[in-house]
Amino acid sequence: MIKEFAQGLWITFKHMLPGNSTTVQYPRVERLPTAERFRGLHRLVPAQDREKCVACYLCPTVCPAKCITVESGENEKGEKYPVVYKIDLLRCIFCGYCVEACPVEAIEMTGEYELANYSRDDFTYEKQRLLR
Amino acid sequence: MVNLTIDGKQITVSKSATIYEAAREAGIDIPVLCYAKKLLPYGACRVCLVEVEQMKGRLIPSCTTPVTEGMIVRTMSDEIRKVRKTVLEFLLVNHVVDCPVCDKGGECDLQDLTYEYEVVTNRFAGEKFDLEKDEVNPLIERNMNRCVLCGKCVRVCDEIVAYGSYSFINRGFETKIATAFDRGLDCEFCGQCVSMCPVGALLPRPFKFKARPWQLKEVDSVCGYCGNGCTVTLGVLNNKVETIRFNDKIGVNDGNLCVRGRFGSSYVNSGERLTKPLVKRDGQLVEADWDEALAVISAGLKKAQDGKGVGVISGARLTNEELFLVKNLASVIGTANLDHSGGECYKGVTEGLKQTLGVTASTGTFPQVEEADVILSIRSDFYETHPVFGMTVNQAVKRREAQLFIVGDKNGKFDKLPGAKTLLHKPGLEVNVLNALCQELIASGKAVTDGVNGLDALTQALAAYTPEKVAALTGVSAELIRAAAAALAGAKRSAILLAYGLPYTAQSREIAIAAANLALLSGNVGKEGSGLYLCGEKANSQGAIDLGVLPGPGGMGAQQMLTAAGKGELSALYIVGEDIVSSYPDRDKALKALAGADFVVVHDLFMTPTAALADVVLPAASFAEKDGTFTNAERRIQKVRAGISSPGEAKTDGAILAQVIACLGSSVSYTGPAALFAAVAESAGYTGIAYDQIGPQGVVWGGESLTVKHKNLIAVAGAEPVAGDYVLLTGSALHHSGTVSTRATGPNAVVSEGYVEFGSEDAKALKLREGDQVALKANGVELKLKAKIGKRLPKGVLFAPYHFSSAQINTLYKGEAAVAVQVVR
Repeated sequence: MIKEFAQGLWITFKHMLPGNSTTVQYPRVERLPTAERFRGLHRLVPAQDREKCVACYLCPTVCPAKCITVESGENEKGEKYPVVYKIDLLRCIFCGYCVEACPVEAIEMTGEYELANYSRDDFTYEKQRLLR
Repeated sequence: MVNLTIDGKQITVSKSATIYEAAREAGIDIPVLCYAKKLLPYGACRVCLVEVEQMKGRLIPSCTTPVTEGMIVRTMSDEIRKVRKTVLEFLLVNHVVDCPVCDKGGECDLQDLTYEYEVVTNRFAGEKFDLEKDEVNPLIERNMNRCVLCGKCVRVCDEIVAYGSYSFINRGFETKIATAFDRGLDCEFCGQCVSMCPVGALLPRPFKFKARPWQLKEVDSVCGYCGNGCTVTLGVLNNKVETIRFNDKIGVNDGNLCVRGRFGSSYVNSGERLTKPLVKRDGQLVEADWDEALAVISAGLKKAQDGKGVGVISGARLTNEELFLVKNLASVIGTANLDHSGGECYKGVTEGLKQTLGVTASTGTFPQVEEADVILSIRSDFYETHPVFGMTVNQAVKRREAQLFIVGDKNGKFDKLPGAKTLLHKPGLEVNVLNALCQELIASGKAVTDGVNGLDALTQALAAYTPEKVAALTGVSAELIRAAAAALAGAKRSAILLAYGLPYTAQSREIAIAAANLALLSGNVGKEGSGLYLCGEKANSQGAIDLGVLPGPGGMGAQQMLTAAGKGELSALYIVGEDIVSSYPDRDKALKALAGADFVVVHDLFMTPTAALADVVLPAASFAEKDGTFTNAERRIQKVRAGISSPGEAKTDGAILAQVIACLGSSVSYTGPAALFAAVAESAGYTGIAYDQIGPQGVVWGGESLTVKHKNLIAVAGAEPVAGDYVLLTGSALHHSGTVSTRATGPNAVVSEGYVEFGSEDAKALKLREGDQVALKANGVELKLKAKIGKRLPKGVLFAPYHFSSAQINTLYKGEAAVAVQVVR
């Protein structure tokens, strides 16, 4: 009986040995890389002199949480562009439909997941904050 | 009737139907790009191909093939699917796929079909179109890279608008739609082509990149401009009317609109709208709250009641319910001084009709005009005052070969129609010409005289109006008068059109009587399908007449009120929704009246020149912000619906009137719109019409053909021509209506300021060029205006529209038919 007891304890104590722990010392020591298809904070893709987004309104239309606000306008070249592009992260459910709907691949999701903040306003991501 | 089978379904349709129409009637959907209900079949797109058992071996275009007895049609099979898909692939070879930035996306027929037929790849390769966009004009964007050559714009502009801006140019792959000489679009800007385009080749520029169609809330209402009563479907986003949506499902206009209806509603979003009540303190209008304003009004009106009395003047763009409350207000104040729309213009016309026919409304409805074989339009401006009614006339003439005669002092759009003949007379002599037509009918023995009173007296009085004599005086050829009289007498169905409005007050009673005489003698009255059409200038002119917003017994009409107020014989004026300074004939009189009255209340949307002179200004709601009913020129009662809320503290005229009435110690309380409408219907004589009965098509009171009460012929004297080298006419211009359209960006983008139009002959003699400043002098007044040069005016005749307050046309025009002026460069 003692043998079995020791065997059990050995398995338990083995995890305490260096190199056998699965606990991540987040955030002080390390941060794990996210998976390639992880759905974190959105990013608007920049093109040469403007954003790639053409304000087609497909993302606010498809968004199940209704967290995207787009207002389109015409720039000096007569092109359609988003005058306002806003995501309310407090409503976003990170489903990624906006990325899927985008016909010009202007929006994608990054691996960023550290999104905590102190005030509600800080969760509204405007165009400039999303263009990275 | 013809029997046929479509997809196994037995269908009976009229023999003039096409396969497509038969299928649609049976609820079977066949895709189309080039078909439109109101246009003639064309067969350009080849998307509607179907199989017909009797015509095996090839596919048949369903939109151009008439049905035949026993036809067996299949609308879908593997082969049809394959062919339709191929057609779409062909269309997409050159079509730029810029759906994300195309405003049509979401309601594009090509996009929908591409999705339905799963055209994900294209077997054919070709170069995408790379043509320049046409954005020269402010209202319509043309991007021919997206065109599928369905020809709908070409056809609507020709068949319905009768303007003919577009045509196909080049051949084969190079084919495209272009204007004359492939220049920028410069037309009436009615936007009919925009409403027809199945793709994004023609788009409304004011709506460019504003929203996606699916985001808009659609509210069906009635246009607030002219008396035609077109259905406008407001496209509302975030409490703002962003655009007017195409809607040919309901209403009287079949989806047709003019530049005002389609592009002229932006004034409701204007930042210049009044949002708070204003009260005059120390000679300045300052913002106040409602309670304060109402207290000032109630004190002011009570003082005036004890003084020399109050006059109430209303506009004709109020709903029936609001006009009813205006009447109520007058009775609570205890005054018989009540009137609308300048008083004279509608009054003469309705009085004249009352004496002759006993009715004060059109005797027929619009669809009857489309089937008329002879049409007489009194005044060439008819197309400009009622453009969509004008389109009905276009269709009657172009499609059914109706004969059109125009009695006019200038040429216009109408006389370009095939076979149209203008009885072009010197200004102000309409009555003479109409009298000559009557005289000719009597003299030739073609007159219909059964049951008509007063024939002998009329025959005697008209002895001086033989075609020859009138021809000598008016300049119309005697033969033309004879031809018009003969055509009217011989017509199976005839229509006589008469419009009235603020700039047409001269001889209005005489014109109405002469027109009624003509209607009686030509057999127009009482004949099935024929009618005399009385068309009011404003959206609810007919409602105001029906409701009797008129002087009571012993009361003063609008012009008398203004005269009295100017002399200090009227203490207060209560003006609802009318800018009398800008739009009434004789500006001095209106200004004097406003200065002479001790207390003036104005309801308006904007700080108009009239409102600026008031003691209290109340912010009112536009047509897009209120519920109620309008009665149009064919007696159709239609519902107006609120699409947005009013800016700031603005309220509907109805709500304001109810509050003012309450302040005066009386009260109006109705349990809801139905109860209020019941009271309106009782007052207006809309017997048997309940609020809930007014469906999408509205309800016509008095039936399709209004029965006249009596048939009295009354002799009226014509006028003498106005002497002078140059005579100035005023009237309505196509792009504007009343004064409010001058606050709308759409109409303003085309015509933004007052002008005086010269015929090319006069312009040459005066060495004038387009845009030159000229001065018009008459009655000691000098007006500086920009010159515009056209081809429609005869020599010695000038035209200036009355809409623009800053142009001050009404300092010259004081209600006469034409003003002799001096032109100084």
